[in-house]
Amino acid sequence: MNNRLEEIRMQRGIKQEELAKALEVTRQTISSLENGRYNPSILLAFKIARYFGMSIEEIFIYEEDQV
Amino acid sequence: MKKPISSYFFAVIGVGLLASGVYFIKTIEDPQSILRALLYICVGLGCGIFGHGMGEIIVRIAMKNNPAVAKQLEIVQKDERSLANANRAKAKAFDLMIFVFGALNITVALMDIDLTVVLLLVFAYLFIVGYCTYYRIKYHKEM
Repeated sequence: MNNRLEEIRMQRGIKQEELAKALEVTRQTISSLENGRYNPSILLAFKIARYFGMSIEEIFIYEEDQV
Repeated sequence: MKKPISSYFFAVIGVGLLASGVYFIKTIEDPQSILRALLYICVGLGCGIFGHGMGEIIVRIAMKNNPAVAKQLEIVQKDERSLANANRAKAKAFDLMIFVFGALNITVALMDIDLTVVLLLVFAYLFIVGYCTYYRIKYHKEM
């Protein structure tokens, strides 16, 4: 699963630390999400989507051949 | 974090065990059989429980004085990625333990030692495997 988290965060001028604090996760989790090393739980995905005022599909891109 | 009462309780129990252990080591002149080891086990356990309780109390005091650090610690403890990593590591360790424990059981059985020890190890192994199966079925029914 790919995501546009870093792109969206940069567009809005938000630091990783700020996003992490708002979502109540560590900065390392944000970094792992942005690098595609970690796929969030559905709850965290919803929290991220709500934070940016977008839908989950606009941030996370599901690709058939990837798990 | 645990309730404050339990930390104080553990600290007091630890001191009690430690003090009684030291007291009986000094007063009993010639302890026999199991009592000889039991007194030192009391001292060891007392130190451990006291250290654990005091550690909790110190952390709680430090957190009380610094809410920002307390919040950060709470985030780190509840962070879903950290929890997922911890669970994955535990699962790996469990898989390894099943093999190591199984090999140990076979080794002990082949060493021709007391049957009680072999059976004890086998039952401990089976208990762990049974515990795992029980929770698998429980979670299967829940989800």
